[in-house]
Amino acid sequence: MPNTKRYLTTGGVGFAVGTFFLWNYPNLGLGAALLGGLVIAALCLLYSAPLPDMIKAGLIAGMFGAVMTIVYGTHKPGVAIIAGMLSGLGAGLLAFQRSPQANPKKAAILGAEAGAIAGAWTGLALFVMAFVIAPAAGISAGDFAEHLSETVILADTLGLGSDILILLFAFGFSTLTGALLGAAACAARSLPLRPNIPLLAVIALPVLLIPLIDRAGNLLLLDALIPIYIFILLALGLNIVVGYAGLLDLGYAAFFAIGAYTTAMLSSPHLGINLSFWLVIWVAAAVAAIAGLTLGAPTLPLRGDYLAIVTLGFGEIVPILFRSLGGGPPGGTLTLRFFGMPIGIEQVDLTGGNKGINPISPPHLPLIGDFEPSNKIPWYYLLIVIMGLAIFFINRLRDSRQGRAWMAMREDELAADAMGINVVRTKLLAFSMGAMFSGFGGAFYGAFIGAIFPSSFDFSVSIILLCMVILGGLGNMTGVIVGGLLIQGADKMFIPKGAELFRRIAETKARAEDTSTVGVSALQDLTQQRLLLFGIVLVVMMLVRPEGLLPNERRKAELHPDDDTINSNSVAAEAEADPSLAA
Amino acid sequence: MAASQTPSSPQAAPLVPREPFLTKRRAFSIVGLIIFLGFFAIPIYQTILLEMWDSPRQLTQQIVIGLTKGTYIAVIALGYTLVYGILELINFAHGDLFMIGAFLSLIFISLFGLDPKTSSGITIFFSLLGILGLVMLCTAFLNAGIERFAYRPLRNAPRLAPLISAIGMSFVLQNVGIFLGDGLIWDKIADGLGSDAIGRVADAMGTQSVAPKNIPDLLPNGQVFFIPDSLKYTYKDLLVAVVSLGLLAGLYSFVRFTKLGKAIRATAQDRDAARLMGINADRTISVTFLIGGALGGAAGMIVGLYNGTALFSMGFTAGLLSFTAAVLGGIGNILGSALGGLLIGLILALSDQYIGTRWSNAVIFAILVLILLFRPTGLLGQEGGQKA
Repeated sequence: MPNTKRYLTTGGVGFAVGTFFLWNYPNLGLGAALLGGLVIAALCLLYSAPLPDMIKAGLIAGMFGAVMTIVYGTHKPGVAIIAGMLSGLGAGLLAFQRSPQANPKKAAILGAEAGAIAGAWTGLALFVMAFVIAPAAGISAGDFAEHLSETVILADTLGLGSDILILLFAFGFSTLTGALLGAAACAARSLPLRPNIPLLAVIALPVLLIPLIDRAGNLLLLDALIPIYIFILLALGLNIVVGYAGLLDLGYAAFFAIGAYTTAMLSSPHLGINLSFWLVIWVAAAVAAIAGLTLGAPTLPLRGDYLAIVTLGFGEIVPILFRSLGGGPPGGTLTLRFFGMPIGIEQVDLTGGNKGINPISPPHLPLIGDFEPSNKIPWYYLLIVIMGLAIFFINRLRDSRQGRAWMAMREDELAADAMGINVVRTKLLAFSMGAMFSGFGGAFYGAFIGAIFPSSFDFSVSIILLCMVILGGLGNMTGVIVGGLLIQGADKMFIPKGAELFRRIAETKARAEDTSTVGVSALQDLTQQRLLLFGIVLVVMMLVRPEGLLPNERRKAELHPDDDTINSNSVAAEAEADPSLAA
Repeated sequence: MAASQTPSSPQAAPLVPREPFLTKRRAFSIVGLIIFLGFFAIPIYQTILLEMWDSPRQLTQQIVIGLTKGTYIAVIALGYTLVYGILELINFAHGDLFMIGAFLSLIFISLFGLDPKTSSGITIFFSLLGILGLVMLCTAFLNAGIERFAYRPLRNAPRLAPLISAIGMSFVLQNVGIFLGDGLIWDKIADGLGSDAIGRVADAMGTQSVAPKNIPDLLPNGQVFFIPDSLKYTYKDLLVAVVSLGLLAGLYSFVRFTKLGKAIRATAQDRDAARLMGINADRTISVTFLIGGALGGAAGMIVGLYNGTALFSMGFTAGLLSFTAAVLGGIGNILGSALGGLLIGLILALSDQYIGTRWSNAVIFAILVLILLFRPTGLLGQEGGQKA
């Protein structure tokens, strides 16, 4: 078998990592950790196994659905329905990506198969949940049944009495919706339309339906989804700077902070200015864009890693500034001396210092009234509108003269200059455009959270955003969105919820054995390890697949240099793969 | 476009005429700066200068502190400068390697059971020397390993790829720091092995892995010389300065006078030409990383003992400080890094005292930006030696 080594490595690494992470939970025991490690190793092997494309697509997409079901499942089993829909859609798109079809009918069949596999796996996770994990986490059968009938909507309407029936119903429902959405997505992808309205409609359907299902089943998913979307919006802006223009910006969180602080200062009782959100969001975007210009102007001559360091510095200084421009004692004065004469400057508490600004006024719409913090649905739709507009504009921008200038500059600044591209203008526009979108994101974030603190904009935010862009694929919007969903999904949903689940299992076990619960140390708390995860993602992506999961075609060609550079390894590999080359 | 006139590679440098100093863009920035400094900042400068004038003793004390800090900043900066000189890579993980050095020294100190109250001076002295060697050895091989696995495969990749990989490694190392600082894990290991020494490590780390760790105060605290009611200069300060300067001198003579040092310089100048001359470039780069790692680890131990604490995030700030120092002195230039380190230490101490600790990072960054804009080659850097 030619790939034995690869399978052994994949499985072994999966086993080791899984066991290590699980073993760190006190009371979980080595046996449970080994079992978990085996499961993870099996999943890794499945991923590298030579299976037909549609089965593999279904398995990969379904894995996310299954993980989502398991981490949310103890209290909200109804999540399986949303997870089934999403993983079906993902499976359909992935299947098409792996084996493109020209015939819509064939594509629909392929998508339906992949989607059904994904949905079924998600549904299967619900059974694992009910019979294995929920009892281990100390949730009695009665409680679980109650959660089940509460959150699986339609179960009541259909009059399904017994729990097994509800489980079967949820299983069937997620398989069916998965298959339908997968088929629709795959068929729509195969249509040679541009713009591909049917595909957009298929993708929009679950995105727009999520809040309604969420509300009906009381799943509370939106609390996690809205921050994820905000970060995706930011990553789209960063993609302009890093992906299109090729300027590595390590201080992007600064613009996010500027947008959020502008909103907070202009629409809160803190300074006594209380403008409407609909005006402030534009002001915030404009202020962020101007900040982008002020960062861009002095750094024009810098390239590559020096630019990265200076942007990093900018990203460090801005939160320091916000932290220091306020929070002092009220009414204090700072005495300075101007040629011997003392000048008293009255200190104004601009930013609230470390305490931040709280509260920030929410948006107001005539029919809906003030957006309530408790009701996330209007927020969600508002964000969808903002994101839709942002995606539309960035898409148009990329194809415009300006976008082509960015890419030309990314490839070779000297050549671009020689071809008559105004490099100064192009760079400044890249910085300010990128900053503008994060201004929108910051404004929405400020209003949504209702309070902001300087600590929410530190270096790790910039790195997480960079990670999202790199994982998905530099310069490709679909890739950035997928990367954002994966990283932010891990950060805001899977890791915290998974950690909670593990803790619950460990506690239940400790109670059963009547040992006292040992304090959970930092390493044992998965949430502490998220930055480790992102660090590993950055290194591994650079080593294995620098073009990202969904690469931009041109970028991919650039990162995998062919004959024009002397690379004996790749030439030899090509010769091996294609004997005609060697001849 | 001034940007396009800058030489794009060191080889081409002599052929391309130097960029005139006063380009249009620079003129704009300078005028802007003068206006800004002139109108808004005069009262602040005046205040600071008057404050310095009022208390010369305080000023002298800060200068002494600054120079002491400067010596170890210079040692860390050397790690950046060596790697940048040879690979043109900002080794982002170097600051975190420094942090690992501090943690390792705490671990070894606890393993050996050193205690300022019970151990004798001679024991402490020789153990510390041994620990310094051990720490340097560990961090050297750690750094070379990182190079082997995270940077070497990217040798021919686009320039940003190794930088991003280095940022990733920096986060991985920070988490290694959290891991090393986790007393509960050490407890588990100690229970498993039944070892008292490891139990001491667990005690030193405590239960909070992200909390700052206390390193026992092993360096002598007596006054070196006595000036009535004033200047504090302890043996601790002296030791830090002596060890750091010793490392600097050792490195300088290594690179200057040995055969390997010559290979390093040749590889830094032109890797392909060096390879043609029979120098094993990969091995030379590994050696560079070994030396850089050893220096980082040594600095970690020195700082850990000097400040008495170790924290998993201490590498980030220290890394920025020393990178700025390296750039200020002229990155790629060993003497330049030493000079830059001293200057940055001085600036840091003065800004801590007169502007406020919370502004120190901002001040350092402002300096970095100014250097990169007006003299990207640094104070002692050669023309065309690097690309900004």
